Amino acid sequence: MPMAGRIGWMLVAGLSLAAPAPGDAQRAAAPAPGQQDPFPSRYVQPRPDDMLLRGATILDGAGGRIDGGDVLVRGGRIVAVGRALANPGVREVDAKGRWITPGVIDVHSHDGTFVRPLTDIDREASDVAETATPNSADTWIETAVNAQDMAFDRALAAGVTTIQILPGSTPIFGGRSVVVKPVRAPTVWDMKVAGAVQGFKMACGENPKSWGAEKDQDGPTSREGVIAYMRQRFIEAQEYRRAWERHRAGAGPAPARDLKLEAIAGILTGDIRVNLHCYRAGDIAAMLNIAKEFGFRIGAIHHATEAYKIPGLLRAAGTCAAVWADWWGFKMEAQDAIRAEAPLLEREGVCVMMHSDSPADGQRLNIAAAKAAAAGRRIGIVTPPETMIKWTTSNPAKLLGLDTQIGTLAPGYRADLVLWSGDPFSVYSRADLVLIDGAIAWDRAQPRTAPVSDFELGRRSAQP
Amino acid sequence: MKRLIAMFALGAATPALAQTAAPPIAITHAEAWTMESDTPVRDATIIVADGRIVSVTPGGAAPEGATVIDAKGKPVTPGLMNGATQIGLIEVSSSADTRDQASADDRNPGFDPARALNGNSTLVDLARADGLTRALIYPSPSRQPVFSGEPVIARLRDGADILGRGDVAAYAVIGGGAWDRIGSRAQQWAVLRKALTDAKRAGAAGEAADAGKRRGGPPPGRGRHDEGEALRDVIAGEIPLAIQTHRETDIRQAIDLTREFGIRVVIVGGAEAWRVADALAQAKIAVVLDPLTNMPESFDQLGARQTNAAILTAAGVRIAFGMVGGGIHMSYNAGMALREGAGIAVANGLPYADALRAVTINPAAIWGGERITLTPGAPADLVVWDGDPLEPSSIALNVIVEGRTASTRSRQDLLAERYRDAR
Repeated sequence: MPMAGRIGWMLVAGLSLAAPAPGDAQRAAAPAPGQQDPFPSRYVQPRPDDMLLRGATILDGAGGRIDGGDVLVRGGRIVAVGRALANPGVREVDAKGRWITPGVIDVHSHDGTFVRPLTDIDREASDVAETATPNSADTWIETAVNAQDMAFDRALAAGVTTIQILPGSTPIFGGRSVVVKPVRAPTVWDMKVAGAVQGFKMACGENPKSWGAEKDQDGPTSREGVIAYMRQRFIEAQEYRRAWERHRAGAGPAPARDLKLEAIAGILTGDIRVNLHCYRAGDIAAMLNIAKEFGFRIGAIHHATEAYKIPGLLRAAGTCAAVWADWWGFKMEAQDAIRAEAPLLEREGVCVMMHSDSPADGQRLNIAAAKAAAAGRRIGIVTPPETMIKWTTSNPAKLLGLDTQIGTLAPGYRADLVLWSGDPFSVYSRADLVLIDGAIAWDRAQPRTAPVSDFELGRRSAQP
Repeated sequence: MKRLIAMFALGAATPALAQTAAPPIAITHAEAWTMESDTPVRDATIIVADGRIVSVTPGGAAPEGATVIDAKGKPVTPGLMNGATQIGLIEVSSSADTRDQASADDRNPGFDPARALNGNSTLVDLARADGLTRALIYPSPSRQPVFSGEPVIARLRDGADILGRGDVAAYAVIGGGAWDRIGSRAQQWAVLRKALTDAKRAGAAGEAADAGKRRGGPPPGRGRHDEGEALRDVIAGEIPLAIQTHRETDIRQAIDLTREFGIRVVIVGGAEAWRVADALAQAKIAVVLDPLTNMPESFDQLGARQTNAAILTAAGVRIAFGMVGGGIHMSYNAGMALREGAGIAVANGLPYADALRAVTINPAAIWGGERITLTPGAPADLVVWDGDPLEPSSIALNVIVEGRTASTRSRQDLLAERYRDAR
């Protein structure tokens, strides 16, 4: 099963890439040990709630808008989107005056690892990232995710249907990410999305260097040190990859498995997609050069607070930007962050998306988009709602390699969608109905059925 | 020297005299949210002169020589006030040498942040551009638990001096958490009670009268010798005791304090205040809360929920919004997060007019007893919006502080314009 799933997502990844990364030919062979998923998904598609949503304002996520439109959902999939659809005999939902969009996708979360309430154990020994070394490439963040984090329930009630959990930005090589559905389950693997491109976290700038500068730590203590450290690890991974290729061609012994090198070699082959924490324009440009030098494509620059100064570099590299609307100033490398970043990047043809880095902000990614668009308006750039919605749906789906499955309302797509009480970019709008895989995961009209984490269960102060 | 004279002028003369240079302003065709009622005055003409609001009249004419701002039917509100933030005390929060929120002095108790307030901060510029004209600036925990010091009120006028008024309250923090240096919250309450008892005894001995005489001196704040002095003013009823706390049991302790000592208490934070709504209303305790909170940062906040504001207001508790968004947002987006939070409170059942009150007249009343309605004689701090002020997508077009048009351009605007054509 893991094997078949693996080949499936390789196909998806191949199709979704504008320019195939080097190494596609090698990937056609049976997967090397490092390409197998030791922690396979156990997510089970829920029993579908077929329905026809009638008369809504639809933003399809891919740039289209239909006023007074219908969406037909059957068997977990979107069957049709259009006006005056025929009802094949399913439940009808009156959506007049309301809006429908794809479910929100948050590509930068620490849910399940930065768990509220924060207590001493997690202050002293946090699961957000393995920080014993600047190279934690061997870690899989899913092995730390606490499925009982209430942040998943809050995200769902806010219309979020897909979340990428990333390791933190202290190590230079942070480790592998996991993509989940915010559904109630005993383990993260019951939430894990099969078929996403394997994500990976890297970091440059202040966070890794300040860790290195701490007493008793042996990491680099400067930007230049961090960049040099990365290049050295990529050179080692190149050698590791060649040794495996020689072995598979029958020309040498199997190298000893090295979990760190396996992951970094996976970046080089394009099997693993880098999510890079980076702020300053110069840091971003240096990293795009490293990607060029070693022949891989960085999936997205996260935070990317100065990407607006160098949009052409990101566009040429096919690298997306995952940004906030209004985090700025709190550290030196965030001094130049501006709210107008997303509309500026959109105008320049960069694949841009909103991201949260916070379970609070993750509940309002569309509001973040609204703030960004308003800042664009201040400098004469007008972004219509059908474009803004791409920042929280189809563009993040691209980064996750899931853009043929989610993030767009079109026939054949998995039915992850939200029925909003009004304009999704209004602070007053609520997620009335949230569908994941064509099943009702959240219904605001049925508060009794709302998911409650095991953690919150029976804690009196949380109950009326 | 010039600055000193200006300060004396402000302190001694009436604000009207100090402001005579400002030309009158007429805002026409405004949807004026006067905050006197739950609905706006349509097509209002608002006349501002000498730092005060002169009149708000439907269809009124603009006087000769006035600077006219046509609001084109859009909302005009009093300038927003953040009920708890630290703008003016922080520049780059990750860098200690740009932070002034807390005293780290082991030997000298008491902390008056007034002398650290910096109107040239980029955080202040952005907050003003987002429609903020006032803020309660609170100190962080000191090395003299449970006391942090004394908050001040900032007026976000242009220029370095944004001090509105010092000596606004005594500020204490009680609960669990890493800041705690004296252990159990039982001990924290004991320390606070002992300090209040000492202040009461000292007050009875006549010291409060002396303290009273010193009030009203020129800004910046007078820099108290110790917390006891502030607490004597609390006992004398001159200023409230702000208690930053969240847990239901702690809020009940605070209610008991008001009864026993006959003092005015303001709860800041109050994540579980909704559980005690009726008792808070009865004790006339106001709550400054973050309407965005719906997850507990600590075990003290297990009851955090976004209906907090609606439940408290329905019970008759006066609320204001502050520390909105926590973490980065509460200061770096002191204007935007405040508006977004108020909007989220409306989405969670708070009536719209009450949400506007929670970011205008309520914080002003809670922290200083000042009325900042759009009515004749009120201080002329107001904002012309291009849409609903509680929608984060709206823009503050004109911000008027103390009767003068203030800058709405932040460093972010300049960067956006500089790189507008970057390719």
